[in-house]
Amino acid sequence: MARPVLSLLTLEEARLVHNKALEVLSTIGVKFEDPEVARIMLSAGSVEHNGRVLIPEELVKEALKATPKRIELYNRDGERVATLGETALIFNPGSAAIKILDYGSKIPRSPLMNDLKKLVVVVENLTHIQAQSTALVPEDIPLEIRDAVRLYPILKYSKKPIITGAFTVENLPIMLKMLKVIREDAWKRPFTIFDVCPSPPLSWSTVTSRNLMDLARAHVPAEIISMPGLGSTAPVTVAGALIQHHAEVLSGIVLAQLVSKGAPVIYGGSPLLAQPRYGTPLIVAPEALLVSLGYRDMARLLDLPVHTYMGLSDAKLVDYQAGAESAYSALVAVLGGFDIISGPGMLEFESAFSLEKLVLDNEVCGLLRRLARGFDFTMEEVALDVIRESVLEKSGNYLLHPHTRKMLRKEVHLPRTWDQAPRSRWPGKDIYEEAHLEVERILSEGFTGSTKKTYKP
Amino acid sequence: MCGVLDLEVLKRELYNAIVEGDVERALAVANRLVDSGVDPHKLVSDVLVPAMRRVGELYESGEYFIADVIACAETFKQVFNNVVKPRLEKSSKKQLAVAVFGSVKGDIHDLGKNLAKVLFEIEGFEVIDLGVDVSSEQFAEAVEKYNARIVGISALMTTTMIEQRRVIEELKKRGLRDRVIVIAGGAPVTEEWVREIGADVCGDDAFKALKRVKELLGVE
Repeated sequence: MARPVLSLLTLEEARLVHNKALEVLSTIGVKFEDPEVARIMLSAGSVEHNGRVLIPEELVKEALKATPKRIELYNRDGERVATLGETALIFNPGSAAIKILDYGSKIPRSPLMNDLKKLVVVVENLTHIQAQSTALVPEDIPLEIRDAVRLYPILKYSKKPIITGAFTVENLPIMLKMLKVIREDAWKRPFTIFDVCPSPPLSWSTVTSRNLMDLARAHVPAEIISMPGLGSTAPVTVAGALIQHHAEVLSGIVLAQLVSKGAPVIYGGSPLLAQPRYGTPLIVAPEALLVSLGYRDMARLLDLPVHTYMGLSDAKLVDYQAGAESAYSALVAVLGGFDIISGPGMLEFESAFSLEKLVLDNEVCGLLRRLARGFDFTMEEVALDVIRESVLEKSGNYLLHPHTRKMLRKEVHLPRTWDQAPRSRWPGKDIYEEAHLEVERILSEGFTGSTKKTYKP
Repeated sequence: MCGVLDLEVLKRELYNAIVEGDVERALAVANRLVDSGVDPHKLVSDVLVPAMRRVGELYESGEYFIADVIACAETFKQVFNNVVKPRLEKSSKKQLAVAVFGSVKGDIHDLGKNLAKVLFEIEGFEVIDLGVDVSSEQFAEAVEKYNARIVGISALMTTTMIEQRRVIEELKKRGLRDRVIVIAGGAPVTEEWVREIGADVCGDDAFKALKRVKELLGVE
């Protein structure tokens, strides 16, 4: 089997990062905004020092021992989709954009519930985006319930797994309950993953720490997403940011396991470079990608499922920069072998969503998943006889050999909207326009995916 | 005692220390300068403010990053608070008027506003600094609370300049507009913009704005 795999750290370097992170936890410690959460950490053997919780190495060790190495992920209907922890490469839209960029517009607008509905239908129809996410924050929904309501159109129009999260302490239990309405064993055989983010450097807000605890109690997978800002909320050096990142994720793992042993957690991240001139958060800057590849190896060291934010761009329009940043970061994610990859569709520092970009990103994801599949060395694939027969009997024309027809569909992946036609067949439209037509087609034809049901917005 | 030439050398060194963001060196040199009898007002107008202007230029030209600007602003602040201010208070000028300064809502830049604040303070104004990301309501409330005669509304970005108009509208709504001199401050502000939104003083340059405010108040 030949599979492209990208690894960054040597075993020795990974151990160094782990040991330094343990040192950070036991000497600098973590701040928990909610005193009750801090108490849980303290009663388990952590030590308080100047309002910070110093977490001893032993506690981390025990927590890691209790953390499941693999998570089975299902779809809404209870069918198994993937085993997280084994390079699942599940792409899903970047989450929680506060703006949507309409086709042809240069200025994004506030999204409405109907936009989220459309997005769900588009995702449902894109083969290489294998999970949904609560990707838009609809402005026409009361602020108090904005996080929870986002689940509704997905539960209604989609059967794909869902990456989501709560903005409040109160609504997470409601969201968990919503899942049980759909399927009684939705916690046990999960089709949702909830993001929880520590606040760099080395602290947890009340909302996210409480969310993490509620998820642990329910044994619903929590994705711990540390987001060190290189040069602003973390060291500007990759190694320093990586150590801080690792320490933050470990602190979340400890909390989850203290609340409930065996709680499923995913080692996640969204490192970013604070742009030195503007302070803008650059998720796909090379320095941030190095942190991501670094923590991917840390998850490998601990043998845990792993998540990343890639396949997105900081450009404002669906343009060259958008394509380049999305494609190269998605490539890094695929070669790194992440389980969950959030990002497609997203622009402008994780703030604006474009359906056209999502359609184009879907193509990138498809091409990269093909790349990741690699190839094998079976007799049929080695094809020595085929070479002999084609060269000696078919004047070197492999189009004439049945092997080509037989293996073509298995071996080759073709993009759907990308332009690969000769000029004579070229309709004269650019790729952005093609993507828009595809969005319109999906929205007018409704669901054309793997089930017979028709889902229209 | 230092000779005139030595003083010029020291001033140059203070200028460089601020532009380089070297707090220790800046404090040492600034102390030597005032100990040698240099008027703290002159120190501000001849050295501190030009140095911070240079920092602004270096940022605009892409040579300086945010981290550099923060270090320089900190150096400036330390020199002003520890060396200049104590001596100003000793020679305490008569208080001219109260000024309320802030950066508009959505704008977190305060370099320009902080420079203006220092200039106004050494000229004898009491400056209430509302900080950054200040709403039009907060501006108006502060005018009432402190009985201010001057309102300095700073916006560094063309995208946040629009907020300056909102502040003026809020002042009008509360019947405060005619009581105050409004400075629309910030690098992108132009005379046309000032006219358009109905402000009184164009604050694209803090020295110029100060001079104009004093003219309007009829003070020297």
